[in-house]
Amino acid sequence: MKVETYIFGLGIFFFLPASIVYGFMTGWAEWVGIVGLLLITGLCAMIGFYLGFTGRRVGARPEDRMDGEIHEGAGEQGHFSPWSWWPLALGMGAAMGFLGLAVGWWIVYIGSGFTVIALIGWVYEYSRGSHAH
Amino acid sequence: MAYVTTATHAPSSPANPTLNRPNMVSVGTVVWLSSELMFFAGLFAMYFTLRSTAPEMWATESAHLNVPYALANTLILVSSSFTCQFGVFAAERLQPRRTGGVFNIARWGMVEWFLLTFLLGAIFVSVQAYEYAHLVSDGVSLSSNSYGSAFYITTGFHGLHVIGGLIAFLLIIGRAYAAKKFGHFEATSAIVTSYYWHFVDVVWVALFIIIYFLK
Repeated sequence: MKVETYIFGLGIFFFLPASIVYGFMTGWAEWVGIVGLLLITGLCAMIGFYLGFTGRRVGARPEDRMDGEIHEGAGEQGHFSPWSWWPLALGMGAAMGFLGLAVGWWIVYIGSGFTVIALIGWVYEYSRGSHAH
Repeated sequence: MAYVTTATHAPSSPANPTLNRPNMVSVGTVVWLSSELMFFAGLFAMYFTLRSTAPEMWATESAHLNVPYALANTLILVSSSFTCQFGVFAAERLQPRRTGGVFNIARWGMVEWFLLTFLLGAIFVSVQAYEYAHLVSDGVSLSSNSYGSAFYITTGFHGLHVIGGLIAFLLIIGRAYAAKKFGHFEATSAIVTSYYWHFVDVVWVALFIIIYFLK
């Protein structure tokens, strides 16, 4: 995963010096930009280091090797829900909550009730019923 | 010949063990957390912008802050990150519950560590609510002036994130109880919840340094 690591990680070498240069040019008096640039450095560092760390742990994937073949990438990619009603239910619960903020507070209570049910339904969808394991 | 496909490949054999892939949930969580970092960057920008427009207000209003009190609260939140990580170690060895007595910490499972983390996080939020009550009685409120707005919006959004993390811990603990066989599905959700918790913890340390020390 070297390519992914470099795409994000190389940002550190631009944004960190940029924040220092910005600091000097503003006489270390304008902290919005300094902190903002440092946090973008953090964004690059977070993703870059995580991808680099993960890449070292899982080793070379087929797409990392010159002799990789399409079929080598076959198999389980991760846990994906084939279909689910819960995201729709959660979205409607959240929409109802925000409608309540705009129209009247009493709707928020109904919306939060729906949201709680939908959230729990979504989180436990693959832990209960025919999916219990 | 390294680039030539051979015809002897048996399609029935598993081509690639799934362990060889990065976990998409973990990578997705880290990418999302980096966007959360930008959300907090916006809050920091707001704080510093308002501070630069009214430095004398910052000097008088920040005198109301109780720094030792907030420092103790910070230590509670930082310690909860450590208990959370021990819960992750338990989840990684696929051990949901304790195998020894309640006070035999070495044999604790994920559930016990996460409950302790929940407790510490709940203490943090409660202490923060108490601190808010004190500040409001001192006249620092959300609508009192720009310092009040900046203080409550930055620490308040962080507090909402902590509450979200507490809800997430409860859901993950519930998953551990719902599973007859605690597997990688449960462990993955526990690990990404810990990523979120560590992130919220680090953001608080930054907020604490900026609001309580730099003022």
